[in-house]
Amino acid sequence: MAKQNNTVSSSGTVAVPVKNYKTPKSASERISDKIYWFFRCIIVLNVVVIFLPQLNPARLSEMINKNLSLFSCGVSYSSVIANCGRALRMGWVSEDNFRMLSLFSAFIVLGAVLAAAGGCMSLGNNKLKKRGLLFTAAGGALELGSLFGLYQVYLQFKQSQRPERVLPMLPDTYLLFIILGGALLLLSVLNFILVPKGKKGDVISIEPKFQLFLMMLPVIALAFVFSYLPLYGWRYAFFDYKSGETLSMDKFIGFKWFTSLFQNNATKKDIIRVMQNTLAMSGLGILTSWIPLAFAVFLSEIKNMRFRRFVQTFTTIPNFISWVLVYAIAIAIFSTDGFINTFINSLGGSSDTNYLMSSSHVWLKMLAWGTWKGVGWSAIIYIAAISGIDQNLYEAATVDGAGRFQKMRYITIPDLIPTYCVLLLMSIANILSNGMEQYLVFSNAMNMSDIQVLDLYVYNLGIENGLIPLSTVIGMVKSIISVILLFSANGISKLVRGESIV
Amino acid sequence: MEKNNQMSRTALREEKKYFREHKTVMKLSGSDIIFSILNYTFFALFTLSCLFPFYYIFINTISDPELVTKGAITLIPRQLTIDNYINMGKVDDLWTSVFITSLRTVIGTSLMVFTSALAGYLVTKNEMWNKKFWYRFLVITMYFNTGLIPWYLNMAMLGITDSFASYIIPAIVAPYNIILVKTYIESIPSEIEESAYIDGASYWMIFRKIIWPLSKPILATIAIFGAVGHWNSLQDSLILNQNSPELYTLQHRLYIYLNQSSNLGALVSSGTSGADSASIAGIINTKIIQYTISMVTIIPILCVYPFMQRYFEKGLMLGAVKG
Repeated sequence: MAKQNNTVSSSGTVAVPVKNYKTPKSASERISDKIYWFFRCIIVLNVVVIFLPQLNPARLSEMINKNLSLFSCGVSYSSVIANCGRALRMGWVSEDNFRMLSLFSAFIVLGAVLAAAGGCMSLGNNKLKKRGLLFTAAGGALELGSLFGLYQVYLQFKQSQRPERVLPMLPDTYLLFIILGGALLLLSVLNFILVPKGKKGDVISIEPKFQLFLMMLPVIALAFVFSYLPLYGWRYAFFDYKSGETLSMDKFIGFKWFTSLFQNNATKKDIIRVMQNTLAMSGLGILTSWIPLAFAVFLSEIKNMRFRRFVQTFTTIPNFISWVLVYAIAIAIFSTDGFINTFINSLGGSSDTNYLMSSSHVWLKMLAWGTWKGVGWSAIIYIAAISGIDQNLYEAATVDGAGRFQKMRYITIPDLIPTYCVLLLMSIANILSNGMEQYLVFSNAMNMSDIQVLDLYVYNLGIENGLIPLSTVIGMVKSIISVILLFSANGISKLVRGESIV
Repeated sequence: MEKNNQMSRTALREEKKYFREHKTVMKLSGSDIIFSILNYTFFALFTLSCLFPFYYIFINTISDPELVTKGAITLIPRQLTIDNYINMGKVDDLWTSVFITSLRTVIGTSLMVFTSALAGYLVTKNEMWNKKFWYRFLVITMYFNTGLIPWYLNMAMLGITDSFASYIIPAIVAPYNIILVKTYIESIPSEIEESAYIDGASYWMIFRKIIWPLSKPILATIAIFGAVGHWNSLQDSLILNQNSPELYTLQHRLYIYLNQSSNLGALVSSGTSGADSASIAGIINTKIIQYTISMVTIIPILCVYPFMQRYFEKGLMLGAVKG
């Protein structure tokens, strides 16, 4: 029995019958293991560079869009010739050249994919490693060959009828790709010599730990590309950049945008206004964060189960509709020809106030909409917690003569406080992030100065007005402050409750 | 014996009497009645406020447009007609948006659910190479946000702006859902998995034959939340695909219609493409356009709502148990 328990590891997952891989390794194998780590880094790098527009070796003519990466060049031919329509029509350059360019780009991408597949296989046993090396060698060779092909296209561009219009160029990164492709080929060959030949009858296999890792790899790659790679965009904060241009080192201006936040009077005024709005709306949200709790407590006082169920069902609906729809509802009810005005008019009054266009009480109105949308939903977690309270406690309290409010005060609410504290700490950590959609849809010329929160300000500045660096700076500062707040909240939680919230 | 019996009977009677009195006292307490009335009234009113707007928009879309323009429809529909819906059906923009939004909801949700299930299973395996590190690598993305502009620039750099891929690919990996699935899978008895190992099943086989079927409840939960998220999403359409009107989502389309009329007063006179097709369809009243599109946008949510309901608490409670 005890032996059986041993097969289950401490965290409750199953221990896998693992083969003993610890056969002594030869010297060449140990060297190749070291080389492999370097090799895998090159393979990863080789995949990453094909997605970066600045490093596109296929931009052989200045007519080709500078925001195209090698990958886009290979995948979509139409984007390659997007700006070259005139040159092709006038016959300055043959279209075949562009076709070849796109084809060779596609081959380089294919080479990178092959190399990546080989890199994955390198995590297996010796037999699989050898096969993987064939892949990486093929990938490297394909890349070198295609790069040579690209050079031929470059020569063709040079010999075109109007080189001064076609503007042929050989990007500096061409050399980088030659180095990468060469390294792939060279290291493949080297490893092929070093990796010992597997015994006869060996089957291809990968250690379980690497099997699991390889299954996880696509998820990791996606998370990297969409959550970590944006950090690369922070560099715009240090450049004098206008949308549509490319970045170059001579536009590097250091921390000028950061200081301009405090020196430029107009910006300073804006920021102060925006911070007021942000903190006011978050602050109001935090001040009213007890409302869902009260909602749940009072709802649980309703003894008619049917009615309670009914309320619970329909008060959650607003949470599932978008802010745009909430705005549509606001228009239907509060606009000039909305329900309120129509209703007053049908009773014989005369009213045509547009409640949405006024700039009065914007903060409170936004708070009210937020509460209307969210309260039913936020209350669910408390309702679930209340239904988990031991009923005996209430019975005992009744016997002791406790009234309704005393039971609430001494049984229900103390039970909900821990949950409430966690949510409160989270909302304090998120004090700068109000989200954008609510304020975007409700904003108009009348209320803009009161409704513009930080997120909306960044959107208006960056997307609407194209001030990329300044909005990046603001977003950057916000992200850093948010992380600090989150860790502080977590620290407080650990200190007070002995439990972390993240 | 006789005496004893008598005594217990007296006691019983007294007890009954006490309870009867006590009950009447509770029933008659004035403050309790007032509390109940107030409580019921409040919840009834609040529920009404959540329901009435939808009802109001709905009756306006099925009433005669003339009456709607005059503002004669307040509480009950009059002169029922479905012309508004038929007319809106002629607006091509709307149908493109409905199609795009439905497509992204179906594809995006399926991919997200599959990925969350697989990743949720994998992060329960301690044997994985550097499991802790990779798990943290995923979880950190929930708390750290680089900001709107770097996000946009990144998408532009990757070349997926102004394409349908921008709706799907970035939303595939959802760390929060991965944590939900992980927590659920950890609650499945490990003996089931163990026996499969002994029978020689691979990880993939175990995932497909054991984990996937057993974690269906949580997968249904995240599927519903994911689908609602896709259906309601505005930001990616607004920012990433601003130059491709054929890719606008339904929410974006609704947003445009709402803004056009509230800013310009009259949609018809504005002369934009949306206005053209709307006026071609013979719809004169901006209000009706807004109401009808709102209904089109909201009906799918209301349709899946009854099915969603039972998953609420499950999803939320698991969410409270952090990873």
